[in-house]
Amino acid sequence: MEQCTEDFTYYSGTPRLRLCAGDEVKRCSKDPIKESQMDYILNFEKVDKGSLALVGGKNASLGEMIKVGIRVPPGFAVTTASYLSFITETGINDKIYNILAEVNPDNVESLNNAAAEVGNLISSTSMSEDLRAAIEEGYLKLCEKCLVEVVPVAVRSSATAEDLPTASFAGQQETYLWVQGASQVGESVQKCWASLFTPRAISYRIKNNFPHEKVLISVGVQKMVNSKAAGVMFTINPTDGDPSKVVIEGSWGLGETVVSGSVNPDKFVVDKVLMEASEKTISNKHIECIFDPGKGEVVNADVDPNMQDACCMEDEEITALVKIGKEIEAHYGRPMDIEWAIDKDMPFPENMFIVQARPETVWSQRKAESVIGKKTGKQLLMEQAMKRIKIPG
Amino acid sequence: MAEEKAGRFPDPHEFQVPPELEGWQEMYPSHHLFSPDRAEWEKGQFWYQDKIHAPEPMPPLDLIFQEAWQIALSQYTTRVFCIPPAQGIAQRMVGCYMYICAIAPPPEEVIGEKAQLFEKRVFYVFEHYDELWDKWLTKFKALGEEMAAVEVPKELPKFVPEDQVLPAPTGCYVSYDLIECFDKLVNLIFKGWQFHFEMLNLTYLAYLMFADVARKLFPGISESAIGKMVAGAYVSMFRPEEELCRLARLAHDSRGVADILRGDASVDDKNKKLSTIPDGKAWLEEYSKATDPWFYVSCGSGWLHYEGSWITMPEIPYGYIKGYVERLENGEPIERSLDEIDKQRDQIVKEYMALIKTDEDKKSFDDAYNTIRTIYRYAEDHLFWVEHWFHTIWFQKIRELSTLLVKNDMLDNVDDIFMFNRYEIPELLTELATSWALGVDIPTRAGYYKATAQKRKKILEAAANWNAIPALGVPPEEVAEPFTVMLWGITTDKVKEWLKGMEGGPAAVDVSEVKGFASSAGVVEGPARVLKRLKEIVDLQPGEILVCPSTNPSWAPVFTKIKATVTDIGGLTSHAAIVCREYGVPSVTGTGLATQVIKTGDIIRVDGDTGVVNIVKRAG
Repeated sequence: MEQCTEDFTYYSGTPRLRLCAGDEVKRCSKDPIKESQMDYILNFEKVDKGSLALVGGKNASLGEMIKVGIRVPPGFAVTTASYLSFITETGINDKIYNILAEVNPDNVESLNNAAAEVGNLISSTSMSEDLRAAIEEGYLKLCEKCLVEVVPVAVRSSATAEDLPTASFAGQQETYLWVQGASQVGESVQKCWASLFTPRAISYRIKNNFPHEKVLISVGVQKMVNSKAAGVMFTINPTDGDPSKVVIEGSWGLGETVVSGSVNPDKFVVDKVLMEASEKTISNKHIECIFDPGKGEVVNADVDPNMQDACCMEDEEITALVKIGKEIEAHYGRPMDIEWAIDKDMPFPENMFIVQARPETVWSQRKAESVIGKKTGKQLLMEQAMKRIKIPG
Repeated sequence: MAEEKAGRFPDPHEFQVPPELEGWQEMYPSHHLFSPDRAEWEKGQFWYQDKIHAPEPMPPLDLIFQEAWQIALSQYTTRVFCIPPAQGIAQRMVGCYMYICAIAPPPEEVIGEKAQLFEKRVFYVFEHYDELWDKWLTKFKALGEEMAAVEVPKELPKFVPEDQVLPAPTGCYVSYDLIECFDKLVNLIFKGWQFHFEMLNLTYLAYLMFADVARKLFPGISESAIGKMVAGAYVSMFRPEEELCRLARLAHDSRGVADILRGDASVDDKNKKLSTIPDGKAWLEEYSKATDPWFYVSCGSGWLHYEGSWITMPEIPYGYIKGYVERLENGEPIERSLDEIDKQRDQIVKEYMALIKTDEDKKSFDDAYNTIRTIYRYAEDHLFWVEHWFHTIWFQKIRELSTLLVKNDMLDNVDDIFMFNRYEIPELLTELATSWALGVDIPTRAGYYKATAQKRKKILEAAANWNAIPALGVPPEEVAEPFTVMLWGITTDKVKEWLKGMEGGPAAVDVSEVKGFASSAGVVEGPARVLKRLKEIVDLQPGEILVCPSTNPSWAPVFTKIKATVTDIGGLTSHAAIVCREYGVPSVTGTGLATQVIKTGDIIRVDGDTGVVNIVKRAG
């Protein structure tokens, strides 16, 4: 797929995208459903970093990891082709661009109004039957694969530019958790599309002369991990840039509490080479993000007082996670920022999942300057010999 | 200047030791005492207790090694290799404990002069290390053999033997030999210690350099990781244990030998039984072949006469062999694969190297690594030859001499000789030589010597029960002396911790957590065994956590039965840390006060990853 998407122009304006020939052959032999439907969605297994334009950074990254054998919850991408087809076939594209053409990027009210109007337009317009059917098909197949009648999924926007290390685009990271049923999935997909036009994103594009027409969005639909604990992992110490460390932060329940900073997570710093923990900080984790069946949504619930100060990960889980982090980093050839989750019901090590991975931005963007510089052993020895160690009184 | 007061330890000249130690000063030479004539200089220095070389009250004769290293270590830094801003390490005795101080840097012009000499002399050593090491070992072995060959008179004959008089008188007799042999033994110790530091200062300097480079590239890198990268597998210090493994295998493969060695009989009985069967005889022969040099290894650090050695306490190696034989019978492995250790080390280095971003840094790291690897073997090898082999020979010789003194009623016990310092013993020997020369029935001052030995033993006992103050004087603003940082692990935090302990006074026993260097990874919980004296090691039970002032590589075989190690003192590559890492035994070193805070039987949790030791449950 890599080769054939290199010249792929995602803003070509045609919904019938030039997909990989090999891909189509495989598809046809496997599944004789209508081709047009398959352009709308793509299983994570079928995407990789070459599919960026079609499925966005987040989805492409999930596909990449699946390819190298990382355990990623199954799911599919609603492609940028779907989005493009949606706005063109329904004819709302002209309306959207007309609204946006009138916006004054320095006027908050103007931005807010335009965003609301466009958002409304996208959420309230019905998808074409083909598109709706494609998403439904994708969802039902996922249910089948997971052996669950109605599988809960996470629906996330996957922008084509925002996650790239060089262009931190001001797109919204829209996420809908524990979405159940095909129609709810469809609604959430539309909400994600709408998130392309937040006031901030609109203003950012205008100010940077980036045409709204050129911005496309994909959406990821991924099986929820019913997590006992979850969090983030950096394959570099974000505090001091130490490349020999993996830093894990985790807490009870879904990872949202860690990402949003609503709890003090447990923190583990592990050496990549020796696989030894140099720091284990267990914090008081008073709330957890869990699914509330009564309310039918995820909520922040109080953690059992006995569990608040307990470590949210077993040692073997920490070690396994670090190993996964190292694999992901090796695959991308750069320090990574990873979201992980540990399933509540599965046995170790099948319970370890990676739900997201993106390049670490802070230290990676620093110019790769030498720390020591060009020095011989002799020079270094001489420097050491001249050294005095300060002991402040 | 109240602020300054708060950040300092007591003035050594005003400090009072407990009254039951009265008379302690008489045991040590005058230059080892704080004195009014040097008061001004002494007051300005920072003196901390040297728990590595003198973890226990110092028997007067054992101080000889300390005297010897004070000179040798210091001179290599100040006059031979000239580490520019560093000066030597001075020693003082307070209440039978030894305190040391890294002297402040010399004036700038001296630093400049030294820098030039350093460059020329030190780089040469690094470039020619391998040949220098070969020369060193040849030279040192010859020195040990010379010591072993020193003739100590076995008796004072009523009349000198005929062959010493006729046909021509030898001209000098046992009265002279008596005095001369001790002088020779003293001189050889001083010479051996001159050799000891021939490359050690540079080794430590190179280690600090490499550790610094590693920390710049990997700010959070652990001591344990640096140690693992630097350590060698094929080092002399591990040979004694390898020999034990070899002998255990031999026993295992022989008829009847293993059965005898596995029994609970005494070493003598075992040897008697062995000599009755052919395979047993062959095994004893192999044992005796291994003995010199490999069993000339101290049961402790090698610094104290009462630690004993595998030579004087054969029950120790026999005990280890018994354990190994049993393990072989259970089909368990006993040897560590040295190739594997070597391979692992290379792999670790490779992996860290791969994490370095720029080629320049990779090159510098590689250069720094090769520099330390060139010379680091010295740190590991010299230890066996000097502190163990050489010292064991010395103790053997001194005891031969003392046997003569006991025989002639100058002392009650052989080991009483260690109650006199090296300046006093010639006096004692002269007196014996004189009384022998004067004729028959000549009274001596034996009563005085016997009483003195008794009195000093009591003082040392009292000193053992005193929790000596960790430091005296004013903490320095900077330290340049490589040993201070590396071996004793003196850091800002350490000094602060000591100061904190001073504020709390001796009531600090309530502490339930101590911190130190995370020197060998892993986390375990178990019952503590606090060994303040090295000889208590026989009390150690399998599955216990060893808590002691410092450990020694010659204890290697115990590391297979203990769960973890905690020490009071031990720097970056303290003798213990190396072995703990090799055995994968979690270890926290340099806690400062573990032996005071933890009691035998306490359930403790040792976290070798973070350097924290918690007392989980106090012993009933």
